[in-house]
Amino acid sequence: MTAVNLQGLLLLFVFLGLMLGSVAISRRWPATFRQIAAFEALGKAIERAVEAGERVHLSLGTGSVIGPDSAPAFAGLAALTRIARATSMSDRPAVVTTGDGAMAILARDTLRSSYGEMGASELYNPTSGRLLGPTPFSYVAGLPSILTNERVSVHMLSGFYGFEAGLAAEFGERARAFVIGGTSEVQSQALLYAVAQNPLLGEEVFASGAYLGAGELHRASLRAQDIIRIGLIVLILLGVIMATFEDLI
Amino acid sequence: MRLFRISALWAAIAAAVGVFVLLGYFVNIDFIQNIRLLFMRWAALLAAAALLVGLANLVQVHWRKLSLAEEGWIYSAVLILAFLVTLILALSFGPDNPVALFIFEYFQLPLEAGLMALLSVILLVAGFRLVTRRRDAFSILFLATALLVMFGTGPAVTEGPVTVVMRDLRAWISQVWSAGGARGIALGVALGATTTGLRVLLGADRPYGS
Repeated sequence: MTAVNLQGLLLLFVFLGLMLGSVAISRRWPATFRQIAAFEALGKAIERAVEAGERVHLSLGTGSVIGPDSAPAFAGLAALTRIARATSMSDRPAVVTTGDGAMAILARDTLRSSYGEMGASELYNPTSGRLLGPTPFSYVAGLPSILTNERVSVHMLSGFYGFEAGLAAEFGERARAFVIGGTSEVQSQALLYAVAQNPLLGEEVFASGAYLGAGELHRASLRAQDIIRIGLIVLILLGVIMATFEDLI
Repeated sequence: MRLFRISALWAAIAAAVGVFVLLGYFVNIDFIQNIRLLFMRWAALLAAAALLVGLANLVQVHWRKLSLAEEGWIYSAVLILAFLVTLILALSFGPDNPVALFIFEYFQLPLEAGLMALLSVILLVAGFRLVTRRRDAFSILFLATALLVMFGTGPAVTEGPVTVVMRDLRAWISQVWSAGGARGIALGVALGATTTGLRVLLGADRPYGS
């Protein structure tokens, strides 16, 4: 094993330890997080959709389930468990779309198990988790028909997107839906910032589970991220200082 | 109780497979590397099979819309027809036959290029909307930076000191501020992605159902 591999493995164990440690101390020292306006507005928008008999649409993006770009879609699936529960009283259950076949199957499984846990199995429909198109632009081309024909009033984007992110958000805006969106790609985040009503920046897309109350481990994950982030910032600053004063030292 | 045991079994299998694949990135032992490669090949095969399931699901959704004559049924009819024609042609003559390539080159590519072109118009509209709807310091800074970079990148009508300053300003913004900010965001995304993966490995998030 090379030193680099050992460092990576060690960092992973530190991460794991911090997450589990945060869960252990969460009752005594509960984590408090800054307010993210987009998530607060999302909760209210879902409530309004349920009351008005309108639908919540979750877009899991165009990334593949086996690629490195699957992480934001998995975060979206974690949020889906909460969305499915919140909309289990609605006449129109949530609908999930994706550009990847395997992700569509995972979305259907998540919906089925969430409705099952709520005792509302009858709400599950095999067409609620859909593949819209296997390429990025064929996927976004299929979005307007869902947003307009299926009475969608909440349009949430959580997954991998390239340039199609701008179109995906704009179609939601044109359907006069509440649009919230986040992705892992930096350039697509800039597109979402310009187009979406409620953009999620940086790692905020991964915090959806914690802010929607998906479980203690989600909150612990944010705490662990913050600790590691502070450590990384200190290391970067130390590196900058050492590089600046290298000649003097 | 039985359901609980089955869900625990799925979680254990998923975690075990995930741990082997993850270890393959850190531990350079033949046994673990071979297992990782085997699992990755299985995953690629399953993803291909899942694509077929997804396409069948897509046709099912549009067939339902068509048969119930729901709003927009004509688009569903076009989609099913295009899907069947492309599928039959590709299965009969292979995906690289001239007709299949013609469909790809003269239907799919122009349509996708058209959507890409639409994006530039949408961004222009979104820029105006941003100023009217979210009028805060960050939005104004965002738009001002976008305009500066755009003017610094575009071709100049006449060469002069102003164009040189604009180009230098664009380079300074994109190479210093933008690159630094992008790295910060990428770091945050990497941390978020790691915790998301670890939650799946721990069985806390079960995207495969419970």
